[in-house]
Amino acid sequence: MAAPDHVVVAPLLAALATAIATLLLRPLPRAQRAVSVLGGVAYAVGVAVLYRGVVADPDGYLVYALSNWEAPFGIVVVADPLSAFMLVIAAVVGLAALVFSVGYLDPADQTLAYHPLFHLMLVGVTGAFLTGDLFNLFVWFEVMLMASYVLVVFYSGPEHTRAALHYAVLNLIGSAVMLLAVGGIYAVTGTLNMADITARLASGAADPVPVLGLSAVLFSVFALKAGIVPFQFWVPAAYRAAPAPVTAVLAGVVKKVGIYAVIRLYFTVFAAATLPVSLPFVAGESFLAFFGPVMFAMAVGSIIFGGVAAVNQPDLDGLLAYSSIGQIGFIVLPLAVAATAPDGGELMVLGVAAALVYSLNHGLAKGLLFLGAGAARRATGTTQFDDLGGLSERDPVFAGSFFLGALALIGIPPLSGFFGKFLVFDVGVRAGSTTVLGVALVGAIFTIAYFSRAWNRAFWGEPVDYEREPLLVAVVAVLAVGLLALGVGFDPVFRAAEAAAEAAVNRSGYVDAVLEVEL
Amino acid sequence: MTTTYVMASVLGLLYAFGTFLVLRRDLVRVVWGVTIMAQATNVYLVTMGGFDGSVPVFGGHGGHDAAAGVQDPLVQALVLTAIVIGFGTTAFALVLTYRVYEEHGTIDLQQLGEGSPDAAATEDGGDA
Repeated sequence: MAAPDHVVVAPLLAALATAIATLLLRPLPRAQRAVSVLGGVAYAVGVAVLYRGVVADPDGYLVYALSNWEAPFGIVVVADPLSAFMLVIAAVVGLAALVFSVGYLDPADQTLAYHPLFHLMLVGVTGAFLTGDLFNLFVWFEVMLMASYVLVVFYSGPEHTRAALHYAVLNLIGSAVMLLAVGGIYAVTGTLNMADITARLASGAADPVPVLGLSAVLFSVFALKAGIVPFQFWVPAAYRAAPAPVTAVLAGVVKKVGIYAVIRLYFTVFAAATLPVSLPFVAGESFLAFFGPVMFAMAVGSIIFGGVAAVNQPDLDGLLAYSSIGQIGFIVLPLAVAATAPDGGELMVLGVAAALVYSLNHGLAKGLLFLGAGAARRATGTTQFDDLGGLSERDPVFAGSFFLGALALIGIPPLSGFFGKFLVFDVGVRAGSTTVLGVALVGAIFTIAYFSRAWNRAFWGEPVDYEREPLLVAVVAVLAVGLLALGVGFDPVFRAAEAAAEAAVNRSGYVDAVLEVEL
Repeated sequence: MTTTYVMASVLGLLYAFGTFLVLRRDLVRVVWGVTIMAQATNVYLVTMGGFDGSVPVFGGHGGHDAAAGVQDPLVQALVLTAIVIGFGTTAFALVLTYRVYEEHGTIDLQQLGEGSPDAAATEDGGDA
């Protein structure tokens, strides 16, 4: 195995090494914090190097066989434009949240377990984005979830324990169901390697009927992780309970793991099979034709529910939590259109690309807003709208950054959110679906409504006591500038998303890269 | 074939029992319910390896194409991993249960739910 291939596991190793180092450095809190932030930078550098490697590769696939066991017998780690795109989101949001948490959390609170857990969560996220093995995906989900359980219950007050209890029990059941589906798929297809499953489904070597049912079971687990209706009920309590930087990562990155899993497994792997039976409401022979209407119903439910509930929240954290349910709906909506589009066609690629662009925008903007809510809490002691007011007068830089984040989610040009929304509408127009356009429009109006309310209540009005936190405001401001830069220089972002979407629907390329056989 | 039917019924019963416990008001029973579900899944995984053979790992790797008389070793490796993960999560869930008891003075889910901000907001007609 040539040396450059090791770059595939570089981000994984960076995060894991930092987690262990910060665990060992507990007696030296200052050194621990420094190593943690440096580890975050190393992670970002690892992701950047990996991204360059993927772009430089003629096929766009970097395959790394763990312990040099060749696929399909060993576990392979696969970096393609799709994984690389998601990793960039994780690196940016993760690093920002890490720097923020150094200034946000009480130093004594950070010493015990915060930094190791934060990096272990990144390890889980990275592994889930990179793995090419179905059971390994389950393991990375568990790594990510174990760390996130503890981070949600971090403050361990009454509210936090209750929220963590809901979150943990739901996800434990989810994990059991996921394992059940993975085991079933192994029993039917005889393999766990994603590329091998694709090849066997395409060649008809595996019976597609049980795989359809099992993949539907698996879908519910991913929907639970992504927090889309009807699996959204854990979201608000968990997001309120977790420390602000953790919430930023949960909303910005961990939810996207569910989205990534849906794109990877359903668009790349399961779409290879054809439906041998005809089902009601399903037009077409692809598995995706079955999941399209399901995704559509979930997306519509999420957009409406998230929007309606967010408008009515008494606090900033709750508003953002419900808003993220609605925004995930905006990510699933173009996926639903893509799923019902002709296989591998232009509309399918555009739909997936729209979902990815929206994911990137939501990851950054919602990360910014949750960090902003944390900064407001630190500066004023609360996020209840009743006790907030006049922040725009107290700190124009902070208010301006928060405003940019809100505008990005609403979708005002030239911010990156405009293109996210624009692509969603574009997908709706090209699909000729007025329902999609209508739902997206209603969702957009709700977004404007609840952010106007948040702005009115928290940033205008009678100024409250405000203690400026320069580091926290700086992190929020940097993210705001990033959103602006993404919007202004949007062309390369779109091309990256398009490359990622093409990789997602390019089954033969994936199988060829991993197994070196023609599909 | 008898084994298949026996295993199917046992698995069904285990899941039913797990689900029953998860729906109880007592938090410790909920944790047990989750644990039983996780263990039922492990039993299911082992079942997926088939019961044709008696020999463990020897020759003819590769699951379903293996020569007769050989168990599929992969599912057992998967189950070992799942058991370790299940052990960790169960320990965490029990610690969390104790912590909930310390914070709230109860592990009755009904009473826990009554104190939540969501419940309070619904009473005001505020929450959706």
